[in-house]
Amino acid sequence: MSTTTTEKPAAERRVPRIDFGGVAGPLIGLVLLCIGFALASEYFLSVRNALNILDQVTVLGILAIGMTMVIVIGGIDLSVGSVLALSMMMMGWLAKTAGLPLPLAMLLGVATGAACGLVSGLLVTLAKLPPFIATLAVMSVTRGLANILTDGRQIVGYPDWFTNLATIRHLGFFSVTVTVFVVLMVIAGIFLRYRATGRNLFAIGGNPEVARLAGIDVRRYTILTYVAAGALAGVAAVTMAARLNSSQPSAGLGIELDTIAAVVIGGASLAGGVGSVAGTLIGVLIIGVLRNGLNLVGVSPFFQMVVIGSVIALAVAFDTLGRHRK
Amino acid sequence: MLKSLTTIAATLAVSTALFAGAASAQEAKTIGLAVANLQADFFNQIKQSVEKEAQAKGIEVITVDAGGDSATQVSQIQDLITRDVDAIIYIPAGATAASVPVQAAKTAGIPVVAVDRNPPDAPADTFIATDSVAAAEELGNFVCKTTGGKGRLAEIQGQIGTTPQIDRDEGFAKAMANCPGIEEVAKQASNQWAQDEGFNIAQAMIQRDPEITIFWGQADALALGAAQAAKVGNLSDVVVVGFDGDVAGLEAVQSGTLTATMTQQTQLMGRLALDSAIKLASGESVPAMQLQPATLTTKENVEPFLTEHP
Repeated sequence: MSTTTTEKPAAERRVPRIDFGGVAGPLIGLVLLCIGFALASEYFLSVRNALNILDQVTVLGILAIGMTMVIVIGGIDLSVGSVLALSMMMMGWLAKTAGLPLPLAMLLGVATGAACGLVSGLLVTLAKLPPFIATLAVMSVTRGLANILTDGRQIVGYPDWFTNLATIRHLGFFSVTVTVFVVLMVIAGIFLRYRATGRNLFAIGGNPEVARLAGIDVRRYTILTYVAAGALAGVAAVTMAARLNSSQPSAGLGIELDTIAAVVIGGASLAGGVGSVAGTLIGVLIIGVLRNGLNLVGVSPFFQMVVIGSVIALAVAFDTLGRHRK
Repeated sequence: MLKSLTTIAATLAVSTALFAGAASAQEAKTIGLAVANLQADFFNQIKQSVEKEAQAKGIEVITVDAGGDSATQVSQIQDLITRDVDAIIYIPAGATAASVPVQAAKTAGIPVVAVDRNPPDAPADTFIATDSVAAAEELGNFVCKTTGGKGRLAEIQGQIGTTPQIDRDEGFAKAMANCPGIEEVAKQASNQWAQDEGFNIAQAMIQRDPEITIFWGQADALALGAAQAAKVGNLSDVVVVGFDGDVAGLEAVQSGTLTATMTQQTQLMGRLALDSAIKLASGESVPAMQLQPATLTTKENVEPFLTEHP
């Protein structure tokens, strides 16, 4: 106990300078991976493939933004995959069965995600459940609701303009969904790094009691963080629906683990108080590049699982060992 | 820094040149194989058949596994397109087969062979599957005959909305329409066609109605789960039938755990998929639908299937 209390202030003091220091390790890993794949496959190094990778990590990336904030305040959100499924199904159900115009259904889909986040936030703050259990419960309930809406059936037949959001690359580069992902990343990065509100999240994660005594409304911030994570899961849901041209109650199964892995690879600490959006972006790209590169090289699917697990362990070990040496 | 960058650039240039040389030296075709979920034995058998046949023909196969997730599969098909494969064998993941991958491949000018499920709104160049409706009807008729036309039937369906689930429902129902003595007392869907789901669903069914005499699992794994639940629940004289003819399913038929299954010709389907892919890649035409019959398999005729799967 005494060691943690003595370490915390040190970690907090490092926070303002962490952005490059914390990101350097994962960044080196990402560059090494890219070089390796470029050597192993002639198809890897191209603008088109780079855009493919960005497209492939869009959903994971948007979820990871919310997860970064939740992990920074010392929480965890296991529900994002199921909330994504519920938001997706809600959007589809509102548009197809209830007959609402699709843009409105999209907004309500995002609102559904936010509402789920609100429930998680209230369970954590008011009911005092540990975040792991609170979001585990929400994960189960939302997955069930996602299936109940259509009795487990998927919803198909969105208009062309909706799927074009994910498929048409404007000016040859960015589809609307990728643009949304990049813009959200930039906004969240600025918010967490330069806004007082964003800085407060680090204080809460570092030591909630100290943060409270310093006059931060810890409860309000915690609830809002989970709401934001939920709303981002809603945005990710809309993105995924556009990409798949359908809504599926089984969507995002297990994606919460990829999301957490991406955030931790990006240098965040599961103990809270440490993390950055830039790091998370690199973590997300490492996972994306790994999957894409292994497919291009033609590594067998079973062996891919082994490689992905090993790289995740290596990436985080590399980062934590680097930190200890400093 | 600059120095190391130039080194990297030089290495890259050399390796690209090497690869380009290798590619032009051999004219071998590359086929992409996108599998829905390798944890299901049925898909795994098709994969093995495709890979075996490809090796014999000297063709490179790049296999990707979506783990049952359609979003992952869309990414994987993108990667196969980037990889510039000559044709894609596509076993769609998720409920109704997603049309996005087929459209993406068609835009890129790559022919697609769909196996087991076919996107209705964007059908592949050819579709290879078992004629599930006819097969399930044959199985239903067999159940009617062995039970003497009466009994209490519990059905464990596959993942709702998938082509095989819909077709197997339809075929079996056709047979039951001619068999009024059998009463359907329970019907529930599974999510993953998996054995533990089959067990849990069947156990709950037995809890509600201990008089069940027939279990119909829409996949061998589901039926095996149900058979185990029946054994645990001390149900005597139940008839359990499955579908697929997995290795585990066939062994269970041999040992009497399952009464019957419909053996799908996975090896044949794998070979056919590869042949169709090669033909399409070289511009030949293949029929849009290539439906295969399945074989009603009981203890009497299971032996040869165990030694060599059709």
